[in-house]
Amino acid sequence: MATEVRTDTGGATATEAATIGAEYQALLDYGRERGYKLDWLQASETLGTSPNFDPAAGGLLLQNADAGRYAEVPEYSDNMTGRPRGAIERPNAPRVGNYPVRTKADVWLRNGSQLYEEAVQRQWSSSVDVPWHTLEELPDDIERAECMLATFLTEVEFVAGDVPGKWIAYTTPDYYEPRMFLISQIMDEARHLDVFRKRALANGGGLMGQLNNSALAGGTIDSARDFTEMSARLHISGEGLVLSIFRMGELMSYNEAEKAMYRLAASDESRHVAFGVMHLQYLSQTDPERKAEIHAYLDEIEIGLAQGFGGQNPAARGTPSSAALSILLGGGSDTASLREGEQIALAVRQRQIKEYIQRVRVAGFGDRFDDGRANPALQAYIAA
Amino acid sequence: MVQETKPEADAAEEPPPDLSWMEKTLGWGTRARPEPNGGGLTVDALNIGVYSDIPDHIPYRNRMPRGAYPAPEAGNIGGYYLQDKYEQWADSAGLLYEEGISRRWSTATEIPWDTAGNVPDDVELAVAQVATELCQQASVETEVISAWLQNLSPGYHEVKLFLSTVVYDAARMFDGYRKRAMLNGGGMLMESPGKMNRQILETYAGWSETVLTQYVMRGTLQKTILRYLSVYGPTEADRALAWRLLPDRARSAAYAMDHIRFAISQRPTLRKTFNDWMIRVEMVQAGENRDPVLWEALAVIFGGGVKGMDEGMARVRELQADWVRTYLSYTKVAGIDRSKKLSPAFQMMLNPDAAGG
Repeated sequence: MATEVRTDTGGATATEAATIGAEYQALLDYGRERGYKLDWLQASETLGTSPNFDPAAGGLLLQNADAGRYAEVPEYSDNMTGRPRGAIERPNAPRVGNYPVRTKADVWLRNGSQLYEEAVQRQWSSSVDVPWHTLEELPDDIERAECMLATFLTEVEFVAGDVPGKWIAYTTPDYYEPRMFLISQIMDEARHLDVFRKRALANGGGLMGQLNNSALAGGTIDSARDFTEMSARLHISGEGLVLSIFRMGELMSYNEAEKAMYRLAASDESRHVAFGVMHLQYLSQTDPERKAEIHAYLDEIEIGLAQGFGGQNPAARGTPSSAALSILLGGGSDTASLREGEQIALAVRQRQIKEYIQRVRVAGFGDRFDDGRANPALQAYIAA
Repeated sequence: MVQETKPEADAAEEPPPDLSWMEKTLGWGTRARPEPNGGGLTVDALNIGVYSDIPDHIPYRNRMPRGAYPAPEAGNIGGYYLQDKYEQWADSAGLLYEEGISRRWSTATEIPWDTAGNVPDDVELAVAQVATELCQQASVETEVISAWLQNLSPGYHEVKLFLSTVVYDAARMFDGYRKRAMLNGGGMLMESPGKMNRQILETYAGWSETVLTQYVMRGTLQKTILRYLSVYGPTEADRALAWRLLPDRARSAAYAMDHIRFAISQRPTLRKTFNDWMIRVEMVQAGENRDPVLWEALAVIFGGGVKGMDEGMARVRELQADWVRTYLSYTKVAGIDRSKKLSPAFQMMLNPDAAGG
């Protein structure tokens, strides 16, 4: 293989470049005389440049690292060998990649690296960052409701970890930024299913019943055949609904351990929702031809929202987790408490819908709420 | 499509909720305790009472948390076809998960990147080349492991939890070495030969085979390279990055050995299966070893430049011998002693003098 010695080093004058080139050639000649091949020893155009970073202010962040050709994200990727973006190709490398996601708009967002770095900074431990010692004995119906909700959340958090995993393997490494974020999500979701299992088993209760319906358990998210469809179902709908619940954790917590649990999980969940919104926004701005298709996915999602059917919503009507929420919000399982809890749960559902609408608007699909396409039951929810 | 649904106008109109779920539990009265000497409430501490039963087979292919009250009508979701304990289990998985969580760190803030200046161009490019190889290896690892997650039964959640930290650790290795490659503008250089990447990606027929290929063969190579870089890296940043990554690699190796040993203990015929598998893996790795790019780049780093490559290559030979010794010790601990059956190419690496320079 011929060795390419690039002399176009960034910012160098022609004379300097020629000198650099001559120095390299001398090194290559020296090495080859001793039997080394050195075909990898190629100075890129970025050699001698450095990313901006402040060790005292966030350090060296992924979003600041790449420069030159390494920062150029192709609109379409033909990388089938799994090489890191910008790496020098080997003509004889096997095609190992199974990457159906090779179009930038299909997976990209503008702040994937930032969300990844944010996730890295905000990692926490369910073992030591939740004050488990603040748990104290609760009335039996409250404990059963806590355990029901915790069992529900343990089960659905498997969805949010396993499904993105599949899509990481499907996405070309040329789009490594969204892949990195999705990996951080797998880590977050592991911690969530762990923390809720811990809650169910730490205070004299136990795990309750599994979901009796695969759709409620997130099965519709598994079956998405397109990344954006999956992301809309998982990040914007499913995780958005759960985020609304976590944000109301103060209302349904009976001790500091539960408050910490919901607060920490909400901070993770807000990143996951942000990923979905920012990806959908990118797609709507760069690939408007797909908007009709995305609206069709949102139609399906809204049926689930309106009917309380669809993945991951603990407040979905008529479910054990919804009844558990009412007990926790109302303070008991007697008729009066349940009625009060139901009223608060209604407000929770309204908030879920309002936040869903806002996310869809930010993502660039708000026209559906103005032109009558959105499910009318959503407006009824808000008006009720 | 517009769906007509009844708006929820007033909660008071709703029928009272069905509370029959309140009786559906298998182990009421469970009270897991935090570790008495620090460490908090760990995932292993939850395995008490009925929840300590970790069955040899999970009869469902959905996401029921182990020990929850089953709903047989839930049906299957898909995936989760690894339903037997021997296919994935390691007793240490829960402990390793907690260990991974407790050692969280950031390449952005915990590596002294500002110490990595004033490196000669040829050494800088050699670091960039090694970084490119390690980035690609990490990238492949994230693809392989994250794709397996949907096939590993939620009934063995300790394993899935641990593997989540493994994927995250691999991402951090990618993140760290991409940053290092860009730090002085060296960039991503020549891609991996790809033969071992293909081998790892082609092990979807068995999780245990994936573990052997990724963590016993490639993992020992990575660990040895990192160990040498943590000592002979050209800058403090290089040494610190490799040093910080080593415990991450050690955890995945610990899981690998524990799992393989467990699998063989449950299915003794697997000892031969895995041994046969490693013959193939050693052949592929030996083929990749004939590619000089990684070794030359390491020789430039260890020798302080192209002009010191002969001395650097001698150190590379030491590294290769260390790698094979580590590999042999791992396979022995895992229960598939390779010392008597080691492929000739690997035997050559054990004796650097015989291998020549």
